Amino acid sequence: MTTDALLLEAQHVTQRFRLPNGQVLEALRDVDLTVREHEVVALVGPSGCGKSTLLRLFAGLARPAEGTVLYRGQPLDGVLGAAAMVFQSFALLPWLTVAQNVAMGLDARGVHRGAQRDAVARAINLVGLEGFEAAYPKELSGGMKQRVGFARALAVAPEIMLMDEPFGALDPLTAENLRSQVVDLWRDPATGVNTLVVVTHSVEEAVFLAGRIVVFGSNPGRVREELVNALPYPRQERSPEFEAMVDRLHAILTATLLPEPVPAAPQRLVPFPRVHVSEVTGLLDHLVMLPGGKGPVFELAEDLGVDYDRMSAVVRGAEQLGWVNTPGDIVQLTQAGRELLAMDDAARKDATRARLSKQPLFARLLAMLKEEGAVEDEEVLADLTIYFPFIPAESLFHTIIEWGRYAELLDHNVDAGRLGLLGTPEGTPDTRVE
Amino acid sequence: MKPLRFPTALTPPLLRRLGLADVVILGLVAGAIATVVAFAHEFEAPFLQAVRIDLRPSALPRYTLYSLMRGVLALLISYLFALGFGWAAARSRAAERVLLPLLDILQSIPVLGFLPGLVLGLVALFPTRNMGLELAAILMIFTAQAWNLALSFYNSLKALPDPLRDACKVAGWPPRRTFWQLEVPAAAQGLVWNGMLSMAGGWFFLMVNEAFRLGDRDYRLPGVGSYMSVALDQGNVSAMALAILAMTVMIVGVDQLLWRPLVVWVEKFRLDETTGGAGGRASSWVLDFLRRARLPRRAARLRRRAYLTARRATRPLEGPLRAATPVILRAPRFAFEHPIARKLAGGLLVAGIAAAAGLGLWRLWLLLARLGPPEWGQLAWSAALTFARVMGAVVLSTAWALPAGVVIGRSPRLARALQPVIQVVASFPAPMLFPLVVLLFERLGVGLGLGAVALMVLAGQWYILFNVISAVAAIPEQFADAATVFRLSTAARWRTLYLPAAFPALVTGWVTAAGGAWNGSIVAEYIEAGGTLRVTRGLGSLISEATAHANFPLLAGGIALMSMIVVGWNRVVWRSLMGWAQTRFGLGT
Repeated sequence: MTTDALLLEAQHVTQRFRLPNGQVLEALRDVDLTVREHEVVALVGPSGCGKSTLLRLFAGLARPAEGTVLYRGQPLDGVLGAAAMVFQSFALLPWLTVAQNVAMGLDARGVHRGAQRDAVARAINLVGLEGFEAAYPKELSGGMKQRVGFARALAVAPEIMLMDEPFGALDPLTAENLRSQVVDLWRDPATGVNTLVVVTHSVEEAVFLAGRIVVFGSNPGRVREELVNALPYPRQERSPEFEAMVDRLHAILTATLLPEPVPAAPQRLVPFPRVHVSEVTGLLDHLVMLPGGKGPVFELAEDLGVDYDRMSAVVRGAEQLGWVNTPGDIVQLTQAGRELLAMDDAARKDATRARLSKQPLFARLLAMLKEEGAVEDEEVLADLTIYFPFIPAESLFHTIIEWGRYAELLDHNVDAGRLGLLGTPEGTPDTRVE
Repeated sequence: MKPLRFPTALTPPLLRRLGLADVVILGLVAGAIATVVAFAHEFEAPFLQAVRIDLRPSALPRYTLYSLMRGVLALLISYLFALGFGWAAARSRAAERVLLPLLDILQSIPVLGFLPGLVLGLVALFPTRNMGLELAAILMIFTAQAWNLALSFYNSLKALPDPLRDACKVAGWPPRRTFWQLEVPAAAQGLVWNGMLSMAGGWFFLMVNEAFRLGDRDYRLPGVGSYMSVALDQGNVSAMALAILAMTVMIVGVDQLLWRPLVVWVEKFRLDETTGGAGGRASSWVLDFLRRARLPRRAARLRRRAYLTARRATRPLEGPLRAATPVILRAPRFAFEHPIARKLAGGLLVAGIAAAAGLGLWRLWLLLARLGPPEWGQLAWSAALTFARVMGAVVLSTAWALPAGVVIGRSPRLARALQPVIQVVASFPAPMLFPLVVLLFERLGVGLGLGAVALMVLAGQWYILFNVISAVAAIPEQFADAATVFRLSTAARWRTLYLPAAFPALVTGWVTAAGGAWNGSIVAEYIEAGGTLRVTRGLGSLISEATAHANFPLLAGGIALMSMIVVGWNRVVWRSLMGWAQTRFGLGT
């Protein structure tokens, strides 16, 4: 495997974006990654870790702010002709028929008319879309649309197929069916596709497809770990080897997503994860029904129907408030969490208020408000941008307001654009949960 | 439905395979060609300051077609402008920063004030032919059509989902292909809807554009607008009625033959897949009719054959051409792609624009410097009067259009029935009716000082009505259901649901209605009806009078003042009101 030629290389790649509010976010920092011929590489990691950004850099759709991207040792200049791309949102032109959409990339590759018809027919045949040639995308189901997306990519017989969450917008049944077809297409020498790079949110999908799985961490995005997956194709999802590989990836992801709390200085500011109050209480409600009040984070994600990256954010929120512990990838309800569930609504608010007042970020904000009275939203947003340059300040601000309102700590006036304190009943935080 | 056919025996062999639709198409094409030829003659005709307008009814169809040609030509220019402008603004951040505020100003200043300068300039350019005057009229119509089209195209480009762009790039499409096959189709719906609005807006000053006095000179072009104005001069009531009828027929005809089919056809280019807006799917009998025709398909086949023949004929040339193209293209490509060259070109462009703007400001300053304090006092007082009238017109328009809009918007049946009627009525150029309304007011004993307010209502009310109707029609059904379930009284329903939901749209309507009223003041405060001139004091009449007496310093002062008031008011009052309305009453979460 290592004897195969280097196809794509990212060397010290850094990429930044400017948000509409002027904040500059670093999507990737100093990333090194290589893709070899005949490989299937999966990029996994929390949202905002820059894995889609890296895919666009490989496609030549963007240039890195720093570092270089090489194709077969040559720096990439413009769109990479050897690659085709499949999009989560399908990206089909609604005014072109299926056949016209599939033919999109052929002109630029100098395929003449007659050969184009053959290429389109071959690609449509490969994904099983015969009979739909004259249909418009809006007449097709999501699965059929993504078949057109694959056919469009296959029609140009690309060396590399880049896929950005290709099954993300599909229902589970359709996704599973299409996934195994992708493996068949890759293994079929007739397609000409010999290398796949896929961005995915699903652990099973990564293990099912990829020979090498690259785990990204966020804030800023960088490569955390690489996992080689040598299971033979076609892979059996229920086999013990498959399960073992899934568990290994889970463990790596847990270490990335739910790191063991470092006994750092107590003043260190930690951002509060951008999750809703109802999500955290929903998690607790679910945990309490499980034996021992605990479960592995990936099973919880599956049971509750959310992706692991959202789930781990919710878990981190609950952990910061002391309602769960996370030994390894296990989420364990704490005593305080159990007590919270036994309370009525008013008591829950009091308990949340006490916990929240101790969360470092909230504590700092409350101290500032106590000192200055009400402050302008703009001022808080500017502070958040300075504290957490890698997190979109606007959405963190909304989370803070939601929790602050729920706990009856904060008073926000949208019309005036000001944030203030809401007087607590006794003036001092309630300490019943201690 | 089966295609309509002629009985075979009666049909000449050439037409045997064709349906009625094909014959109608042939007739229309022939008619269009004849009109274009006649209009080209008009262009080339020797220049006469005041063409004699023939008031006989038989002359009216030709005049109406001339006016229509001007509107269509102006619209074509507007579309070209919009594509270029929108593309540039969406493509480059630097261009965006300059072009968007410019657009905002251009669409809110009274362009009619520029007519004298434009006419003098273009007539001087073509002293012997009618071309100069024609171009001036077309450009004036253009200035009423172009801005919203440009804004619509820009907004569509900005709203285009990134993956679609990426897909075209990955497919290796050159920018030109992406433009015509992605960007323009994605914007097609907005371009057609705004084209409809633009066409209507373009007729507003038709009468002035086709017939106006500048000092002692009288400029006139043959058209339905000048027909109306001559009829007014001579107090010829039947000719006035005929002109209004001709105008109405033209508007209805354009709506049915051009816009309806286009609106239905561009449904194909809808990007989001949610089906239809209020009132269900649009339909067009003309498009249904045309789709049954065989001729277009035949023409397409013929064209393809012609294309292949041409390809074959040029094949010997292809080799050398292919070798030469890169060499020919290298220079421009270098100019566009090399960073230094690009910066240089950008710098030159900016410098050119700055120089032109500077020169314009200097010339304006020279003109304004000739105004003394009394003139400025006169300007300020007139501006205050017109400002009061504009606000009065907005209030009056709201008073009837808001309740009417809510009622129509709440009833899909009513909306379906009235929408086309209102559209046609709203497209009718209000200034054509001004003289008649003024005569009516005189019978009632109302002076022009107040009457002008009513005229400005005519010029602005539709924007409010349209905006309210579409906002109320877009209220999700659950809200109405909730109001029913909780037994809200009619008054409570209006107070808590309809009015707040309509408010953001109402503000949008106010902005356009006030703009229309300001523009309208130029023709509403200074009116010739029944052969006599009626003037009431105001900024509009001041501009009209300055034009009539060729008093250029006063004209420049009036236009500058009006532009400043309109732009300033837009920036300060309307914009903050709009922002507040959106955050407070917007239905989006």
